[in-house]
Amino acid sequence: MAQTALTLKKNDGTAANWRTWLGIAPFLLFAVLFLFLPSLRLFTASFTDPDGNFTLNNIIQLFSEPFIVNAYKLSIQISAVTALGGGILGFLMAYAVTVGGLPRSLRSVLITFSGVASNFAGVPLAFAFVATIGRQGFITHILRDYFGLNIYDHGFNLYSFAGLSLVYMYFQFPLMVLIMAPALDGLKREWREAAENLGATTAQYWLRVAFPVLLPSILGAMILLFGNAFGAYATAYALTGGRIGIVTIQIGAQIRGDVLYNPGLGYAMAIGMVVIMAISLAGYSWLQAKTERWLR
Amino acid sequence: MSYLSLTNVTKQFGDTVVVDSFNLEMEKGEFVSFLGPSGCGKTTTLRMVAGFEVPTSGTIKLDGVDITDKAPNQRNVGMIFQAYALFPNMTVAQNIGFGLKVRKMPSEEAKERVNEMISLINLEKHAHKYPYQLSGGQQQRVSLARALAIRPDVLLLDEPLSALDAKIRVSLRAEIRAIQKRLGITAIFVTHDQEEALSISDRIVVMNVGEMEQVGTPFEIYNFPKTQFVANFVGSLNNADAEVVDPANGILAMDGVHFKTADEGMKNRRKGEQVKISVRPERFSFAVEPLKDNVVESTIENITFLGSVVRIQISIGSTKFNMDTFNNPFLELPAIGAKEKVMCSKEAVLVL
Amino acid sequence: MSFWRRLRKFPFLSWLWLIIGALYFVLPLIATLEFSLSWDPELPLKAYQRAFEDNDFWETFLYSNALAVATIVVSVILIVPTAYWIRLRLPEARRLVEFITLMPFVVPAIILVFGLIRIYSSSLDVPFTEIELMPPLTNFKMGTNILIVAGYTVLAMPYMYRSVDTGMRTVDIRTLTEAAQSLGASWFTIIARIILPNIRSALLSGALLTFAIVVGEVTLASFLGVDAFGPYLFLIGQHRAYEPAALSFVTFLLTWLAMGLIQLFTGGQGQAAGAH
Repeated sequence: MAQTALTLKKNDGTAANWRTWLGIAPFLLFAVLFLFLPSLRLFTASFTDPDGNFTLNNIIQLFSEPFIVNAYKLSIQISAVTALGGGILGFLMAYAVTVGGLPRSLRSVLITFSGVASNFAGVPLAFAFVATIGRQGFITHILRDYFGLNIYDHGFNLYSFAGLSLVYMYFQFPLMVLIMAPALDGLKREWREAAENLGATTAQYWLRVAFPVLLPSILGAMILLFGNAFGAYATAYALTGGRIGIVTIQIGAQIRGDVLYNPGLGYAMAIGMVVIMAISLAGYSWLQAKTERWLR
Repeated sequence: MSYLSLTNVTKQFGDTVVVDSFNLEMEKGEFVSFLGPSGCGKTTTLRMVAGFEVPTSGTIKLDGVDITDKAPNQRNVGMIFQAYALFPNMTVAQNIGFGLKVRKMPSEEAKERVNEMISLINLEKHAHKYPYQLSGGQQQRVSLARALAIRPDVLLLDEPLSALDAKIRVSLRAEIRAIQKRLGITAIFVTHDQEEALSISDRIVVMNVGEMEQVGTPFEIYNFPKTQFVANFVGSLNNADAEVVDPANGILAMDGVHFKTADEGMKNRRKGEQVKISVRPERFSFAVEPLKDNVVESTIENITFLGSVVRIQISIGSTKFNMDTFNNPFLELPAIGAKEKVMCSKEAVLVL
Repeated sequence: MSFWRRLRKFPFLSWLWLIIGALYFVLPLIATLEFSLSWDPELPLKAYQRAFEDNDFWETFLYSNALAVATIVVSVILIVPTAYWIRLRLPEARRLVEFITLMPFVVPAIILVFGLIRIYSSSLDVPFTEIELMPPLTNFKMGTNILIVAGYTVLAMPYMYRSVDTGMRTVDIRTLTEAAQSLGASWFTIIARIILPNIRSALLSGALLTFAIVVGEVTLASFLGVDAFGPYLFLIGQHRAYEPAALSFVTFLLTWLAMGLIQLFTGGQGQAAGAH
């Protein structure tokens, strides 16, 4: 026993030598082969012209080629709209089951539902929405037959910006619920009591204490939602068959065949996306750290 | 008329009676502690005064006004929580100013009040820090300042020192008491720590499973406990079984050894009745002239060194007692197994 | 409590938000179910019958399940020892490994498959020669299988690592290991007999989540040209009307089952994946 304890202790105390690092070598090797090399390849290729020389042209073209600029614009708009919409709805739902006074049993039901919904995406989700508010959809019919409202006459189209946003929301707001429920649990009862005790009304408590405390979590979660929508491909492809020009769809087209007539530009487009995702993740982590520091 | 009065206050959660007809009259400026083990209802009683719980029956009056059903934010009662409960998104100054802000106090005046409070707790250098940058003791001082800033009618402290280190606990409790005296504020202090309650309070309410066991000054509670529970909970105690020999003269027998007691209740007991007697360890001493009421033969069983006190385990007949004696470098301790005469006064022998 | 006081305390708004969300959640499912049952009023389950009669369905579905199992096995082999080693001996690698496991959030599936194709569609040669060490992985069946399982393992990494790491934190593997070592257990025994059984609920929830991600996955599968369930579903969606709805609903039930089981095993926090 003493022997074992001593060996363990020695290994902890001194700086780990290369032999200790060997323990995670398989993992690192895997990550290099199937994550870093592929990413690096895209990265170097986006700085290479068709003849194999270094160039910044591809990066410059990202900002000038209307086809690409529009794709980014559209992706950013859809991601922002669904992050905001899904964020607000998700927050309100998480609020309802945590501190909103609903029965505790509803909480675990909602969490399970949210786990399912945030993972229910891609082709089945697209089909589900076609069956719901497609031209012959369930809701479309109900609205037409009982409310005399034909949404397709009023410019709605499931295969458009609005339609895609509606579909994305389906996995966006449950994700928000999953992130915000624990954050709302983090609101201590004593804060509310202390605030009341000092004379604050419920509104004042929310405005001055609860909401500011939650704000970094809310923003962080919304950034995560943004990235979640920005990187989505399967759902959009299944729904529109590639007819909506968001970044992931255009990259997909570029993989299938060189639609940009410039492979380097395709790589640059992919890298541009990675950069945006990285910024989102960094923003999320920063806000997360801020909250954790507060709530320590 | 008293300043704060609780009359027949009872609280039930479902079928469980958490607080059972609690009665207390407090004077303005008085410092009262609720002392008891966890689950004794002391915190619930405090929370009813704060307004976080509504009594099932009974009334709470503050300065003549019935506040039993008033919302917490209408009461002007300051509260300090065990877990500090500082708002993490606000600096020290903002925390202290919170109550003034929601009251819409003019900002100049509020600023002045905040500064006054910050200097009261000696945290001038930390006014712009956030709670996570402060130690536990500092956070609790901010919490005190925050509660005092609104000039509350009553200050409620819910185990405010429990989360702190032993050293800080002692210094902060002195600080709390000093500030309370200086401001002349009425305060209720909930604790499960008897030493804390004894050192800080004007009066103590000892509670057990929802009932008030005894109300009195620290001196009364310690020296004249009225119930077995109070005697055991406050300070350490030797307990033994004894038989009443002579009720009129207060004579008891324990294992055939006679003890004299000054207990008033003895007169009402019958000869031959079985009772429990209690003696505090520090009331025993080795017999020296002039001899006290009770001088008995004992055997030294064990000696434990506790720092300022030396605890000697003795046996009188077949019953074991602890005897505490103050430590000093010239103390001559008996050998284990030695026979020694020990004594205690008749006032020291409590019959409960 | 009086009626009015009770009424004032009733959380109207909370119920409202919950109901709006619940409708959003449930309506598409009802619509899909309703549609899938409406093919033939005489034979409500016709769409399901037809869908299940299709040989391609079973082939692709079983294939996807096999991919999911392979992914889970690879993930466990890769991640459990790594997470264990970091907790026990190499805490300084924690930040690095956590960073790596977060990378799939930065490199979404579409980018990952882009990179994988670009790297592994050329053969591995001995440098500066024409000697081929390994043909392009994308050119043969086993190669694509390896590639897609590797890709899925990457996508599942954040969830698997987090599950396993949380599991190890809650059972305090360090003390368990020291206790086992003091009783003379070998490393293999420790991992197989002590660590794995103790984190089994964490492993299960990681595995089920991986399953949920992999079975319906479409991006990697279609670009690597694999005949998996996701691309199959997409394909029949182009040509048929009712069967896709039926299969979508079945997929939903499967996801539901996986999440329900996770909830059961972890008894609390569900997790979100991102195979969108």
